[in-house]
Amino acid sequence: MEFEGCNCFRQRLVLSTLSGKRVKIRNIRSKDDNPGLRDFEASFIRLLDKVTNGTRIEINQTGTVLFYQPGLLYGGSVEHECNVQRSIGYYLEALLMLAPFMKTPLRAVLKGVTNDPTDPSVDLLKVTAIPLMKKFGIDGDGLEIKVLKRGMAPAGGGEVLFTCPVRRSMKPVHLTEPGKIKRIRGTAFSVRVSPQMANRIVDSARSILNKFIPDIYIYTDHMKGPCFDPTDSNLYFSSLFQGGCVDSTNQSLSLLYMTLGQQDVSKTLLGPLSPYTVEFLRHIRDFFQIMFKIEQQKPGEDEQKGGEKVLMTCVGAGYSNINKTIK
Amino acid sequence: MEKKEQKRHQHKHSGPKAQKKNRKKEQGTEQGQDERKRNPRAFSVQSAVRMARTFHRAQDIKTKKHHIPLVDRTPLEPPPVVVVVMGPPKVGKSTLIRCLIKNYTRQKLSDICGPVTIVSGKKRRLTLIECNNDINSMIDLAKVADLVLMLIDASFGFEMETFEFLNICQVHGFPRVMGVLTHLDTFKNNKTLSKTKKRLKHRFWTEVYQGAKLFYLSGMVYGEYQTQEVKNLGRFISVMKFRPLVWRTSHPYVVADRMEDLTDPETIRLDPKCDRTVSLYGYLRGTFLKNKCQVHIPGVGDFSVADVSFLPDPCPLPEVIKKRALNVKERLLYAPLAGVGGLVYDKDAVYIDMPSGHASQQQEEVRPTTELVQSLIGTQATLDAKMAASKVSLFTGTAALTPEENPMESREWDEKAQRERRRAVFADEDEEDDDEEEEESDEEEEEEEEEEEDEDEEGLITLKKEDEKAVETAAPPVKKQKIEEPMEMPAFADSDDELEKSEGEESEEEEEGDEENEEMEEGEPAKRSSGPDSGLCSEEDDEDEEEDSDMDEDADGIVKFKHPEEEKIDTEDAEMAYETTGTLSMIYPSDYIKYVFFLVCFFWDVFVEGALRWKEDLSKKASEAYLRHQLAAPNLRKLVYGTVAEEEEEDSNDEEELGGLFKVSRPERSKKVRADAMDCSRFHPDSSHDWDQEEVRSSIRDCFVTGKWEEDKDAATLLKEDDELYGDFEDLETGEVHKAKTGNKDKEEEEEAPQVKLDDDEVQKNKRLEKKRRLKERFDAQYDDGDATYFDDLKEEMQKQAELNRQEFEDVDDEVRVQYEGFRPGMYVRVEIPALPCEFVTNFDPHYPIVLGGLGPSEGNVGYLQMRLKKHRWHSRILKTRDPLILSLGWRRFQTMPLYYIEDHNGRHRLLKYTPEHMHCGATIWGPITPQGTGFLAVQTVGGFKANFRIAATGVVLDLDKSVTIVKKLKLIGYPYKIFKNTCFIQGMFNTVLEVAKFEGASVRTVSGIKGQIKKALRTPPGAFRATFEDRLLMSDIVFLRSWYPVSVPQLYNPVTSLLMPVGQKDTWAGMRTLGQLKHDLGIRNKPNQDSLYKPVVRQVRHFNTLHIPKELQKALPFKNKPKQMQAKGKTPRDLQRPAVIREPHEKKVAALLDALSSVYAYKNKKAKAEQHAKHKEFLKQKEKQDAERQKRLKEERKKTYRAMGQKEKKKLKSSLKGASKDN
Repeated sequence: MEFEGCNCFRQRLVLSTLSGKRVKIRNIRSKDDNPGLRDFEASFIRLLDKVTNGTRIEINQTGTVLFYQPGLLYGGSVEHECNVQRSIGYYLEALLMLAPFMKTPLRAVLKGVTNDPTDPSVDLLKVTAIPLMKKFGIDGDGLEIKVLKRGMAPAGGGEVLFTCPVRRSMKPVHLTEPGKIKRIRGTAFSVRVSPQMANRIVDSARSILNKFIPDIYIYTDHMKGPCFDPTDSNLYFSSLFQGGCVDSTNQSLSLLYMTLGQQDVSKTLLGPLSPYTVEFLRHIRDFFQIMFKIEQQKPGEDEQKGGEKVLMTCVGAGYSNINKTIK
Repeated sequence: MEKKEQKRHQHKHSGPKAQKKNRKKEQGTEQGQDERKRNPRAFSVQSAVRMARTFHRAQDIKTKKHHIPLVDRTPLEPPPVVVVVMGPPKVGKSTLIRCLIKNYTRQKLSDICGPVTIVSGKKRRLTLIECNNDINSMIDLAKVADLVLMLIDASFGFEMETFEFLNICQVHGFPRVMGVLTHLDTFKNNKTLSKTKKRLKHRFWTEVYQGAKLFYLSGMVYGEYQTQEVKNLGRFISVMKFRPLVWRTSHPYVVADRMEDLTDPETIRLDPKCDRTVSLYGYLRGTFLKNKCQVHIPGVGDFSVADVSFLPDPCPLPEVIKKRALNVKERLLYAPLAGVGGLVYDKDAVYIDMPSGHASQQQEEVRPTTELVQSLIGTQATLDAKMAASKVSLFTGTAALTPEENPMESREWDEKAQRERRRAVFADEDEEDDDEEEEESDEEEEEEEEEEEDEDEEGLITLKKEDEKAVETAAPPVKKQKIEEPMEMPAFADSDDELEKSEGEESEEEEEGDEENEEMEEGEPAKRSSGPDSGLCSEEDDEDEEEDSDMDEDADGIVKFKHPEEEKIDTEDAEMAYETTGTLSMIYPSDYIKYVFFLVCFFWDVFVEGALRWKEDLSKKASEAYLRHQLAAPNLRKLVYGTVAEEEEEDSNDEEELGGLFKVSRPERSKKVRADAMDCSRFHPDSSHDWDQEEVRSSIRDCFVTGKWEEDKDAATLLKEDDELYGDFEDLETGEVHKAKTGNKDKEEEEEAPQVKLDDDEVQKNKRLEKKRRLKERFDAQYDDGDATYFDDLKEEMQKQAELNRQEFEDVDDEVRVQYEGFRPGMYVRVEIPALPCEFVTNFDPHYPIVLGGLGPSEGNVGYLQMRLKKHRWHSRILKTRDPLILSLGWRRFQTMPLYYIEDHNGRHRLLKYTPEHMHCGATIWGPITPQGTGFLAVQTVGGFKANFRIAATGVVLDLDKSVTIVKKLKLIGYPYKIFKNTCFIQGMFNTVLEVAKFEGASVRTVSGIKGQIKKALRTPPGAFRATFEDRLLMSDIVFLRSWYPVSVPQLYNPVTSLLMPVGQKDTWAGMRTLGQLKHDLGIRNKPNQDSLYKPVVRQVRHFNTLHIPKELQKALPFKNKPKQMQAKGKTPRDLQRPAVIREPHEKKVAALLDALSSVYAYKNKKAKAEQHAKHKEFLKQKEKQDAERQKRLKEERKKTYRAMGQKEKKKLKSSLKGASKDN
């Protein structure tokens, strides 16, 4: 399969690895002043090489053309120095997609920037992706994301441990009832500033959230580091407004798992599709020939549950983990 | 005396005694039923341990019966059951198939080649396939068979093929197997017959399973099996149930029953060996088939599908199920390769077969009366294959203009209607009539059912119907033979150029439009029009949307601009296309051209009409489309996937020219910028919401537990419902009656105004139903909670999932549905495959099955496979590592070179030179990636019958990898050249210092078993090193280092291309030969090792040194032990040699006389001695005699004296005793 440009770089490589189809990406930033692959993308390719066996990667001189022939997912113990241009979330998102389909359970130590404004932070993935994966039948002791050290750009120095067991197939899911919010838990962290700052963040967040629900607890995590990044509770509200059973960063993850499920109908209620997810849907169709039935659910008149929701339905591809050994 | 017979006992039949007895009897039986009650002691617990054991055992047996519950994915309308008739040659396979076909359809089929599909019952269709004696066919068919009829010649007994086939089946998931014994009439003796039957049955049971069905066909009547027996066999087949097999439920497959070459005849003319584009037809089985997926055709290779489309079922099940038996019309038969679907394939021609007998009678009735149509059919029959092919393309082109004329297209559009009739009819009026007629016929049949089900009568009625039809319509419907005529048309499509194809799309819409129009005219509810999803169907829809509703097409960035007039232009173009085809066909015979123009004229008329009507109804349709759009809200879907039509356009040509006038203008979306955008999953929502404002905040109020709940979840409502459910009850203790308030209210309301709420009744009813459901649910939950096991829960979950799977896309139109879930099993699909090797077409033999096996994701790749393998115990020879072997794995048959290995205790994979005799071993091959757990079998050759039992090995795939882990043992040998105490310098093992450095610390050993370790490399000589040992070495010791060397697996993956072989030689495929085979064929003999040859044994004579005793010692020895100085005498010197004596004559005489005298003397002496000897002997004898006598006498005397002495003694004793007593 051939693509152009570096957009959706991760999606293409991840789906290629899962489907076994080779991929050629051309014109990567060919019109740019600084053409070719960036360091973080190269680092990502290296990570893929580490978790697979028999992968063939060819990059031309300028780095504008990439040929990727996937090998088999191997897993095992992996340690990777992530590039500090992007946070660990960038790498972790891809690993989340691949991890259940490895030969041996994955135990990855990723080093680099834990939180930055562009990518979903490690904490976000920890609290959203892990429960989502459990819904698909990936459970057990092995599944966890652990922040060992926090690190900020530009120095990095953070460390995240991600372990995941392997599964032979995914369970079909029916996530159509978002349910109600009972309690709110959060993390406020501050690095290299007065610990008081974290407490102030907590207070401000509480002041808004308390109007909805009294059961709130926000942890503070203070560490010595080079930077400071306050979290915004308004962001939380807008994601709530969008609603759905899966938050926007994990839309693609849940859709992927649905695609790779058994040949049964899976349903998930999502918030508005993010552009990234839309691209992902197109790629899924290209790689797996799976199309989703997309139905919009308009909110009821007297209900006050935020914006429009989208009900995604698909029949799984009947994918089974071909890497896992049987004895 | 006479014995009088005693009177017999008379039982009482009446009276009190009889009554008593009766009573007792009754009681007895009752008690017998409940023995536990009557004899409780017998059932009391004797031993707790034993009871526990029995309980355990019962539970074990119960649990053993459980299978892992699987989601039931069988389609609602399943594909025909594949029945493979298998057996050695001349056993009666074709006869059996013929008989079965006759049994089911009352038709005779002369030549059986290719699959034959028949409707066997109300809910079942069968595809009968004959399996020839080629192992390739056997393997392929075992993979697709649902039921195997295994024919066995009873007069001969089992043959190897039978066992081979059973083994193949076993490996690829066991289909149902039913044995059929034939040639039973050859047995004259009844006893041998029954004995043979029994023997064969038991052997069959051991092979399949105990109690497997074995059917007996006892004899032939006029070359056919007995009707009753065939009927019984048919019944068995009809009621047979099948279990899902893993491989088949996870892979789609098609057993092709029709093949068309779509290649442009011009390219074939230019290059007869060019790659072909071929479309294959067949029922889809297994699971969902995705468009553009990869398929494997066993015997040909891997291909990616260019296009899949579904066609109306050529052999549909009867639509109405309430009837008791099928009537003749519904007993359909479809076998295009055998020529029954209407076509017979020859090398360069296609013939239409008009079956004789029953079917042909009908045919005459329905024969089209219109000259035109008849002429069409007539021409059709005379065309050769190429023309037939090119004709089709004409049709696809024309289809645009005249929908009714193009059955291919029309089929694609409607499925609900009676397809059989529809397809063949040329004028659209007929369609309507057909529908009406269908209804009529249904009614009639109902009546019929009321009366009686007599076949003759049915036949009459059908005839009558057809008469009616003939009267009503100008052009009557066409039989199924004619239906085939359009089927072969697609082949034509390629004779034209792209131009026509691009127009095809537009014409399709028009066609649709036409149809819709017609339906509306008919006054039918436009349910079909609502069928196709507006989201994807066609540009037409887009157009409508644009005109009437404000669609946000801009979001897509593609704006369509179309006008009715443009449509017209298109049609003109299409006409042009006709003309081009006409000119193209100049190379063909003239009658063909005539035919083409005929068609053009005819179609043109119809088209013009249709186009006008299309315009009439534009507004109505548009409004409908708008409604549809409102309902489905497809814009999100369109946003994500785009419409199909658009996609096609994008694929075909970016700058489309419409009628040479307009250019499609697409807003440039600065694709480059988008392509290089930031790859980030984070979705920053618009910040339009200000969360500080109260109303904005309240918009998500209900997401929290503190917010408002839904009707069915709210605590208050739930409580209220509980009241309703359990509202009315009477307190038994107090006798107080509680009544639910709501109930009362309802009652009152009802009493007050019963007639006011007419529509409220509905609501109430629904409410009650809802309440009932809830109550039932709650009851179920409570009731089953007690003994609901994990298994039950799982089962229930699976069932729910299955239900959901069925329901989810049930009401979606098929066109859309196939995009969501793929083509579902049971559909009749047409699969177009490009770039097939030309041999596939030129060497096509319908007797060989063509299977299209769908491949899962990444199953098209190649890698290393680790598998567990066991040599088949019936295969006579063990297998050698790196000898090529043909494996049947997944759909594939391929040749590869396996390496055998065995796993050591530490997990090392050690290479084996040969497979073990009776043990499993591992094997690694370079082959196609196939899911773990898939079974495989191996044969050494697929051509010829050299081996007794062709299946060499069986096994299962364990692991897939991109690298190999097999190692073989390598011993490096070195010799000590300097020995210190426990340290040695060793040379000869390595060549450089670097090599030694790699092995520093490795353990070494001597032959005598002294262990040691490599310490450090020495500078000189290169490769020498210092090593320490646990003991002192000898110079004669040999030191070796045991190491493991990774082996590489030869990357040979050679698919067996048996289908590409010329006809008649398809079972002679030979791939890579083994080394032994090659040497045998080329007559090369191995040069033997000289040392291994046998030679005469020449032993060296042993030489012993003389014993040397030192002089000192010699001196000290006694003389006896002193070595004697005994030297060899040597030659006597001459002077010592005595001379020979020569006598004088006188002396001679004297000597002679002396001699004579001495001999006389000697004789005399001798004689005297003998005499003396004899005398002495005599004397000795005498003496002996005398001695003996003397001895005897002496003995006597002694005896006497002893006796006397004894007596004396006795006396003495007596007297002494007496004396003593006297004395006393």
